[in-house]
Amino acid sequence: MSADFILYLIINTLIVVLVSPLFVSLVKKVKAWTQGRRGPSVFQTYFTLIKLLKKEVIYATGSSWVMRITPLVNIGALLVAALFVPLAFVPEPVAGIGNIILFLYLLALAKFFMALAGLDAGSSFGGMGSSREMSISAIIEPTTVIVFAALAFVFKSLNIFDMFATSATSGFLSTPTLILIGISLFIILIVETSRIPVDNPETHLELTMIHEGMILEQSGRNLALMELSAAIKLTLLMALLINLIVPFGLITVLSAAGLVAAIILFLIKGSILSVIIGLFESSMAKMRFFRLPSLFAMAFFFSTLIIIIEVFA
Amino acid sequence: MIVQLFWLSLVILAAGILIPLITSGFDQRIFRQISLVCTGISSLLLAAVSLVILVTGEITSYTAYQFFPGFTLSFFFDRLAAVFLLIIAMVAGCVAIYSTEYIEYLAGAKRRNLLCAGTALFTLAMVLVVVSANTFSFVLFWELMAAGSFILVMYDYSLGETTKAGIFYFVMTQLSTLFVLLGIITLFVVTGSSAMVPVPDGSSPLVTLAFIALFIGFSIKAGIIPFHKWLPYAHPASPSPISALMSGVMLKIAVYGILRFLLNVFTPELWWGVLILLAGTISAVLGIIYALKEHDVKGMLAYSSIENIGIIFIGIGLSVIFTAYHLTDLATLSLLGALFHSLNHALFKSLLFLTSGSVVHATHTRDIEHMGGLVHRMPWTAVLFFIGAVAISALPPLNGFASEILIYVSFFSSVAVVADPLFKVLLFICLALFALTSALSAACFVKAYGSIFLALPRSPESAVAREVPLAMLIGPAILAAACILVGLFSFQLFSLVGFTLPVPDLLAIGLLLLLMTALAYVVLWFTASHKVRTSGTWGCGTYSQEPVTEYTGHGFSEPIVTIFSPIYMTKKTSTWTFFDRENCIFESGNAEIRLMKIFEEYLYLPVSHAATIAGVRIAKIQNGCLDTYLLYVFVTVITLIVILGWFA
Repeated sequence: MSADFILYLIINTLIVVLVSPLFVSLVKKVKAWTQGRRGPSVFQTYFTLIKLLKKEVIYATGSSWVMRITPLVNIGALLVAALFVPLAFVPEPVAGIGNIILFLYLLALAKFFMALAGLDAGSSFGGMGSSREMSISAIIEPTTVIVFAALAFVFKSLNIFDMFATSATSGFLSTPTLILIGISLFIILIVETSRIPVDNPETHLELTMIHEGMILEQSGRNLALMELSAAIKLTLLMALLINLIVPFGLITVLSAAGLVAAIILFLIKGSILSVIIGLFESSMAKMRFFRLPSLFAMAFFFSTLIIIIEVFA
Repeated sequence: MIVQLFWLSLVILAAGILIPLITSGFDQRIFRQISLVCTGISSLLLAAVSLVILVTGEITSYTAYQFFPGFTLSFFFDRLAAVFLLIIAMVAGCVAIYSTEYIEYLAGAKRRNLLCAGTALFTLAMVLVVVSANTFSFVLFWELMAAGSFILVMYDYSLGETTKAGIFYFVMTQLSTLFVLLGIITLFVVTGSSAMVPVPDGSSPLVTLAFIALFIGFSIKAGIIPFHKWLPYAHPASPSPISALMSGVMLKIAVYGILRFLLNVFTPELWWGVLILLAGTISAVLGIIYALKEHDVKGMLAYSSIENIGIIFIGIGLSVIFTAYHLTDLATLSLLGALFHSLNHALFKSLLFLTSGSVVHATHTRDIEHMGGLVHRMPWTAVLFFIGAVAISALPPLNGFASEILIYVSFFSSVAVVADPLFKVLLFICLALFALTSALSAACFVKAYGSIFLALPRSPESAVAREVPLAMLIGPAILAAACILVGLFSFQLFSLVGFTLPVPDLLAIGLLLLLMTALAYVVLWFTASHKVRTSGTWGCGTYSQEPVTEYTGHGFSEPIVTIFSPIYMTKKTSTWTFFDRENCIFESGNAEIRLMKIFEEYLYLPVSHAATIAGVRIAKIQNGCLDTYLLYVFVTVITLIVILGWFA
């Protein structure tokens, strides 16, 4: 493991942890504007996290060690997954870090624990959330894997690092297929981060909620960890989209000036994407749960179509 | 050296069979223990033998006995056999440890001696199938294995459910032997010998017939859909250690059979690969979809075995396709995926069967809706089952993921190199379904773990369940440790046997996970409040939380059941009666949602009806009158003389 790589581990983790809450609040802010409200400050998520850290943790009676270790496992899995998606600086991959399948399954690991924690307290909200989350994640999985396979096909590599390096050197939109893959990636981002029309991140105690239902029994520092993990997940999927479609600014050789420029560019691109997500969410209504499979089927056929076009071209 | 050790383990296993049989007149624990210890020791020896072969790659053959020229009893050890020997040894050893306690809780007094002898016999038969050097001894031991497992399934023969399952299993397993025998006889006709050597003429109709027959025979035994129906009957009916052996090991012996014939005897064609791939994909998807609907814990595990066998077949199918396209590296990769998944499935499935056996023992029910809250009452069993659930859901860094990623990588890489566009589309569709399978299996095991172990107990038995004794924890614990270690060190293990694979090093990932979790913990330790309180679960203002308000297993799988309702073919019927003629005033009615057993109703029953009708017809020949039989003998002799005269 070279010094560059260790430096990468530290820099990437720091950026992810520091930047993620900003994007979450930005999406909320945009949604507030479109609804004619002023909305919370763009730093609100940071304040919330700090407040949560100061609060006591309340465990439900009858809950077990599953409830207690889930927040830690969740953040651990997401932080490792964060190493798989370089935000600003792309080093040479080491020991298979960056493998796109492993990335997907690290997210699944976090989800598995979260769903179990939802069932642990014995509350019907938690159970409902877990059940829906696992169902949705199961039926979106074929689309996700097909899109990832298409990425592997286009970039001739299974490693996200190599993909980013290729896109960084070939510049903006290296192949037109990427626009189509980008749309699929955007759908995956919306589904995986529990956003409208699939889920509503704003509601509590509504029968429509999925992700929020699962973490209803979490509190204090544990809730902070869960919130941060969700934010990191959003940032990672956004970064995947950004660095594949609009990679300019991404550096492959480490230099202080380049790194600062890359981080700033990533912040700008991420903020623009957050605004797009916010506008997208505001323009839609939450879908009925059993209408979702047809949406996913559409996403699946769309992705498969891209691949068939690419294959026969 | 290898042969001597192997003989020693066979002799010890034979002692394990004979001791409880000789002493079957006495219902004494000591004899059963001796038998199980024999099984355990011989498993250790077998594991040592197989590890030596795996690492050195040495090939040994040995002729034990010649019945008559051309039919010998001979053994053959190579790496393929060693993988499956290792599977048998690991599972049988842990099952033996587990059984030392489990068996004492079973009803049946002296019959328990037979169960011990049966376990050893079953293990012996499986070992001998794997090391058989020719088709003659292969089929001999194959039948011994079938008979042994049948006796074990029928342990609780007084229960109606068991008898039904036993008969079902017996018919299916004999059907399997029939097809295997047909394939082997056809091969004998083609090659003129019983040795497992490459057939000279690769694509003649007879060779194709042999392949089809063997494929069906092995598929029945492996539980490939549509020949799968015996699994969800036989597994719940048999004692848990036996389910673990059957699901963890016996299904793999069928996988071994198909691999042995594909690699050593046939020169596979492209469409064979497609056939195997499609059979595997269909079994994987349908297997897990049916598992989600199942609320009998052992039935669910049985369906999940069908899914995993499907995954193994996907690996084999890919390997055959790549071989036909001369993509040697990818063929090796997917073959290794199939083999590795066979080992891993054996580990986590027998772990799950053993721990669910403990749960069933503690709660006296197999219905997961009547469990719940066991994480507090059976903490160790809960942890062990949890490891199995994480492994089977293919989550990193455990072993289930380590083998599934090999198949993923073969799929992903194949798309770039397989030239035929139609094949690319086929591969993409199978990849999508494979991904669906693996996500559904996570959902299935979240449901299982949540319903069995978490929240509040949903039955009085569950509320007073107690942790099982030490031996019933040690057996599964060894398997759980193996699941973790094999997963973490998968990359290193493959390097040890000489393969450097294009997959991530899971040890590094495991360490990183540990590091990041520890980091988060330390940061929290210094920044966050340490106050912890326990309080009631939020229940929208209800006074106290009751188990009835919890989400049930049925409820959990409801969204998936609704989404996949066309596959389940649920039949909804309702009838109403009314007081008045205009059907306005409702009197009574009933509504029924019935899960159609598609395969049983449309495949098994018609076939069995046809067999019954044919049987009735043939039975008419049998009239019990001596004169008629004399006539038959007379006619046969005359016919034989005529035919022989014709050919002479």
